[in-house]
Amino acid sequence: MNRRSFLGWGAAGFAALCSSVAVSFGAVLRYLVPDVFYEPPQTFKVGKPADFAYGPPTFLADEKIYVFRDREKGFSVASAVCTHLGCTVNHFQSDDRFHCPCHGSIFAANGAVVHGPAPKPLPWFEVTLARDGQLSVDKDKVVPSTYHLMV
Amino acid sequence: MNFFRDIWNSIVRRDSLSTDKGKSELVFLNVWLHIHPAKVKKEHLRFRHTFYLGFITFFLFIILVTTGIALMCYYRPYPSQAYQDMKDLQCVVFLGPFIRGMHRWAAHLMVICVFLHMCRVFFTGSYKKPRQFNWVIGVLLLLLTLGLPFTGYLLPWDQLAYWAITVGTNIGSYAPLVGGQLRELLLGGHTVGQAALIRFYVLHVAVLPGLVGLLTIVHFWRVRKDGGLSRPLWKLEPKPVEELVTIGAPAEPAALRVSSAAQSKTYGLMEVVTGKPIFETVSPDEEEDTVFAYPYAFLRESIALMGTVVGLMVISILFHAPLEELANPAKTPNPAKAPWYFLGLQELVSHSALFGGVVAPALMVLALLAVPYIDRNPSRRLRERKWALWLFSAFVVANLVLIIIGTFFRGPGWAFIPPWVHVVAGAE
Repeated sequence: MNRRSFLGWGAAGFAALCSSVAVSFGAVLRYLVPDVFYEPPQTFKVGKPADFAYGPPTFLADEKIYVFRDREKGFSVASAVCTHLGCTVNHFQSDDRFHCPCHGSIFAANGAVVHGPAPKPLPWFEVTLARDGQLSVDKDKVVPSTYHLMV
Repeated sequence: MNFFRDIWNSIVRRDSLSTDKGKSELVFLNVWLHIHPAKVKKEHLRFRHTFYLGFITFFLFIILVTTGIALMCYYRPYPSQAYQDMKDLQCVVFLGPFIRGMHRWAAHLMVICVFLHMCRVFFTGSYKKPRQFNWVIGVLLLLLTLGLPFTGYLLPWDQLAYWAITVGTNIGSYAPLVGGQLRELLLGGHTVGQAALIRFYVLHVAVLPGLVGLLTIVHFWRVRKDGGLSRPLWKLEPKPVEELVTIGAPAEPAALRVSSAAQSKTYGLMEVVTGKPIFETVSPDEEEDTVFAYPYAFLRESIALMGTVVGLMVISILFHAPLEELANPAKTPNPAKAPWYFLGLQELVSHSALFGGVVAPALMVLALLAVPYIDRNPSRRLRERKWALWLFSAFVVANLVLIIIGTFFRGPGWAFIPPWVHVVAGAE
């Protein structure tokens, strides 16, 4: 074996070793990402329109959403998860705003950030009427705060 | 009784401890003790040089492993079981609150001791050549020491657990490029649930303690290889210059220089695998300044260990580890506060998640890691290190101030409320 072929084979072997280590590392990382999530679905039904009162929004704890019902405009659904670090915001009827207990973020009634550290407004989710007459919310579909469903 | 004496001699294969040879063999024939030198410098044993903080930290880690294993006998990492198991430990397990208290308070103390140990090493300049890399290992151990309680306090599945991890992993998601994936990897999903609990459990009981153990071994090994601890500052006073006599080959004159023969002895190690023979010059008073590790070092270490254990036991009898209500994903407590050692971070995060949660901590860690490589000043004398001392003191004070603000000056909605003002929280 001459010097040229030794270096050639050596380099090829070293490259093969490095790439197999890299592939193994990537495979282990990929192993840690589940393919099936045992989590609540992003689309779900929340009940009949008649279940919701006018006025103060209804807080649904499991889904972490606020359901608003307005006499003129109809239904709209806001996320109750603070866009800062994920704490659950509280809607205060006194000032019609959302307050986050963790770091003091305040959101206006339309979800816009009024005060601090939250970087983005609260998202609003698409709400539709399902065939069985129940309201259906899709958390994967973010809509403008002006979106309403008239039933 | 030759029979029993033979057994004893087969276990302990050293000379009697009444001889110097026996005292040496006790150290270097024993796998657990041989990290010590057979003889140690008296100055290294002085309490006011190190305050024994490194030892105490190590003992706390041992206590944490022991009590942690005891807790594992009752704890099941499932959202439906975990809190119930905590309640069992609190109410119906014999010594349960005590063991859990030991574990919790040892964790708090370990955070404090690691931090103080870092301060001691900085202020005595002990990170300087040749110990630079051991400082880096120490910083990694500090990060692991913070990672252990972070993964640990999810496990009780109470309100603190749930919301601290929700907030903590969301901070991670602000990291550039990999943030979202990082959070998903840590949680094993998109929300804090079953998958997250088992992952944090694995990190807490296997991965992180294993890493701490490995790095601790390297940390100790390097201390030993660097000739034990650094010299105390009070031994650094400039000595009168002696007339030096050069002997031997001039390959590297510095290594072969000895002070005048009447005042010192030169030991040469003649058989070295590569390179020049090694000479070490020891002045007579320095030689007298060493004592056998047995019993002088071991006695002090035992006292530190027993003091740590007893102190921790007293704390655990007097104060029970807190446990909040069962985790409720729908209701964030107001104010939702992390344990005190993370409240400085939480205070930063309350101003900006990206800056306070990612940029500032990353810069702090990088600065700490780089300390021995930025600070090229070879002197360890305090009055020759003004800049370094001021900068590090500012770092310490800034962290303490942030923690104090977060702990005592933040009320519901993270509003700034001094502790002497009483506020009636509004509707939550």
